[in-house]
Amino acid sequence: MAANNTPAGIDKEQAFGMAETEMEYRVELFNRLAQTCFNKCVDKRYKESELNMGENSCIDRCVSKYWQVNGMIGQMLSAGGRPPI
Amino acid sequence: MAASSSENDSKNEGPSSREAEQPQVAAIRMPTAEEIRAQEVWNNCAVRSVVSGVMGGGLGFFMGLFLGALDNPIMQDEMTARQQLIYNAKQMGRRSWSSAKAFAIMGLVFSAVECVVEKARAKHDTTNTVIAGCVTGGTISARGGPRAACAGCAGFAAFSVAIEKFFDRHT
Repeated sequence: MAANNTPAGIDKEQAFGMAETEMEYRVELFNRLAQTCFNKCVDKRYKESELNMGENSCIDRCVSKYWQVNGMIGQMLSAGGRPPI
Repeated sequence: MAASSSENDSKNEGPSSREAEQPQVAAIRMPTAEEIRAQEVWNNCAVRSVVSGVMGGGLGFFMGLFLGALDNPIMQDEMTARQQLIYNAKQMGRRSWSSAKAFAIMGLVFSAVECVVEKARAKHDTTNTVIAGCVTGGTISARGGPRAACAGCAGFAAFSVAIEKFFDRHT
């Protein structure tokens, strides 16, 4: 890779802006993921502090599905430009 | 935890400084790899069922020892005291070994089935206990034929649900 001090077309401010947008996107994704899977998998009547096995496997499956669908939608949006309806 | 300890510290300093000091909120600490691995060990179905089997075996051993000591006939005129003691000990040992085996199998099968069913369903409720109790009761009384297996299934399922409700009665 070329030296980072002499970028081609991207200056430092733009890079920072992109990094900030990416960070916000990641944080938002994590928060939404945690909220969705928590509401789906964890029973609201708390009986103990540890996650039991059923909740553990539910969370595994929920996170896996969420991540996969997120990746698929991201690919569709970046490739097609408009979601096919 | 950090908040309550700092509150206790501030209370010891005196009531005037209590209002000045805010309770510290601890940052979220992600679990380390060792902690995750230690928790994952207990999530493993094989480990859980083996541990349950061993605990069941221990319980059955002591129960068999106790019951074997109880129903020993006292035959004072036939044997001397030393012979009677040996006979009693053998009886207790035999009884406790068979009881330990039975309880160990019960604990192993119940725990294994409950673990597998709960992982497959990804839910934690009493249906897992019912299924596990039914399978355990069925395997224990499978020798008496299909009818005995059904009766054992229903009986043990009801028993395990009752035990579970008994142990969770404060929640």
